[in-house]
Amino acid sequence: MLEANALSKSYNGTTALHPLDLRIEPGEIFCLLGANGAGKTTTINLFLNFIPPSSGTAKIGGLDVVQQPLESKRLLAYIPEQVMLYKNLTGIENLEYFTSLAGGRHSKAELMGFLEEAGLARTEADKRVGAYSKGMRQKVGIAIAIAKKARALLLDEPTSGLDPKASNEFSELLKKLSGSGAAILMATHDLFRAKETGTRVGIMKHGHLVARYSTSELGHADLERIYLEHMHD
Amino acid sequence: MVLRIAQKEITEMIRDGRFRAAGAIIFTLLAGALLLGWQHYREVSAQHSAAQRATREQWLGQGKKNPHSAAHYGIYAFKPKVPLTMVDRGTDPYTGVAVWLEAHKQNEFKYRPAQDATAVQRFGELTGATVLQLLVPLLIVLLAFNAFSGERELGTLRQLLSFGVSQQDLERGKALGVAAALGLLLVPAALIGVVALTAGSGQTDMIAAIPRMVWMTLGYLLYFGAFVGVSLAVSAWASSSRSSLIILLGFWMFNGLIAPRAASDIAKAVRPAPSAFQFARGIEKAMQGDGHDSASERTKRLEQGLLKKYNVDKIEALPINFMGARLQDSEDHGNEVFDQAYSRLWAVFDAQDGVHRLLSAAAPSLAVRSASMAFAGADFPQHAHFAKAAEEYRRSIQRVMNDDLMRNASNTGVYLAGGELWNKVQPFEYTAPDAGWVLSRQAPSLTILALWCAAAAMAAMWTARRVRVYLT
Repeated sequence: MLEANALSKSYNGTTALHPLDLRIEPGEIFCLLGANGAGKTTTINLFLNFIPPSSGTAKIGGLDVVQQPLESKRLLAYIPEQVMLYKNLTGIENLEYFTSLAGGRHSKAELMGFLEEAGLARTEADKRVGAYSKGMRQKVGIAIAIAKKARALLLDEPTSGLDPKASNEFSELLKKLSGSGAAILMATHDLFRAKETGTRVGIMKHGHLVARYSTSELGHADLERIYLEHMHD
Repeated sequence: MVLRIAQKEITEMIRDGRFRAAGAIIFTLLAGALLLGWQHYREVSAQHSAAQRATREQWLGQGKKNPHSAAHYGIYAFKPKVPLTMVDRGTDPYTGVAVWLEAHKQNEFKYRPAQDATAVQRFGELTGATVLQLLVPLLIVLLAFNAFSGERELGTLRQLLSFGVSQQDLERGKALGVAAALGLLLVPAALIGVVALTAGSGQTDMIAAIPRMVWMTLGYLLYFGAFVGVSLAVSAWASSSRSSLIILLGFWMFNGLIAPRAASDIAKAVRPAPSAFQFARGIEKAMQGDGHDSASERTKRLEQGLLKKYNVDKIEALPINFMGARLQDSEDHGNEVFDQAYSRLWAVFDAQDGVHRLLSAAAPSLAVRSASMAFAGADFPQHAHFAKAAEEYRRSIQRVMNDDLMRNASNTGVYLAGGELWNKVQPFEYTAPDAGWVLSRQAPSLTILALWCAAAAMAAMWTARRVRVYLT
């Protein structure tokens, strides 16, 4: 579903991402680990076509993101570190706006259903999002992905700063989405969550994807040890 | 999609206290300005018609006197106020609204409020035109400066684009949103304006004013469109909301405050007009004759011509009154002098107008000012149109008086005329030019506004397509 072929990016001679080959199938959750500046966000932005690649291609559902920017995005949901919403609109209005831009038409009851599915309390949905906590915003983000029936999810450190309970809820939601056939690429610093939620992990360093593991092969302690070994220069 | 985006923009703006406050202020000012304009219009037109009646009554009731004394007694002509001057008073405060029509002289206009005003008042007068030309664009800038840069800074731009929303749709939606928000302000204000117009001028005048109103509205809409386009383009292009705001405020200040002053200074420097004193002095000199054709020489020539024509040897034997003939002859000479002097002066003003028009390519505010005052009926060409009609009327009075003298006065005794003669002078009727006349002169301004609007829209589309999600 998500596919990078020799995908690379350099800025004025500095290489942010060395040629990357990656395939993420439906039902998989691939967690990208690595220090800040290792190339995780660059990879996600290349899939979003927010930045043009220096070489190679990124494909979503077989569609080249540069050639078919609008079509490829129809299959996609993106949840950044902080889901940003319009503070003068309520939670459900934000959801309605974003899903309508993605081309969907939903009744208020359906929208409320998506928010509930994402774990947002009914009473919160009609409040303006100015007062929302980060956890609540991320839930709206998930609700958007649910409403959109996204087949590929790109997540950029979506749980950083969430309390453990909210983080756990978020992971459960991700599992549910991948269970229904979505391919998920998530950049994260949370090794524990990566092991718990991910089906595979990849470690990035200086723009290289230096190692990939299936989480079923690893224990928690193993992952941390391997990660630190890689970080050690 | 576009409609959905616009709808969200409006919801957000309406819920934003800053927009509500700014909108309320501008709406109040606009409605207030229109009501003030209405009151001013009503007072002035009541005064005009009263004065017009009074001057006619005085003329008819001046009793028995020599026709030439009556010609000196004179009549006032008042420039009728077009109803739309409620919105834009244009050059009226500078050019004046009344002229005294008397023998021998084409007078300057009187009652110019600007004469009594201090320089500061130039900025201070609250009219609908000030609000529309100065404050509404400011509101547009405030509504649109962060349309893109704000969403980029907030991070919502990333999300929007991740949904496969095309930038152009986003652009159109935002433009429509700003337009609709403005509509919420301007449509009610326009309705108040129409009601005030109807109440102030009566239904017939109101209906007659519709074509002018339509063109004036078109001019303003194009002007606002240009501002919306420029604001969105800058917002998409600028590196931050801060710099976008600074650039747009600069553009606004250039248009609203700098360009109008600079343009009139440049026009004056390139095509200098004589001062009022120089102009009067020039006419005085020309009247006295330029040495080889003095007044006395002309009288002599006229005398000899008439004696020859009627085949008599002295003035007393002429079948017509020599005094009347001499007066009409001096009138004819004066008319030539005035025609030359005024056409030279007006040609200078025309040339200044041309410079202004050229400059308005650089600042749409100049074009909209010119179109607004023209369709309001208060620009210089319409002033000149009235001045010419008043002068024609003055000349016809002189002709009637002098003809009467020539035909009826004897060359020896005293001659007095009465009401019958005064009645031969028809009351002064003036019809202001119609919208087509104005349009033929304002086509360049409207074209410039349309070009600005189109160019701004294209720039907005172009920058939106290239909008950067991140600034790296």
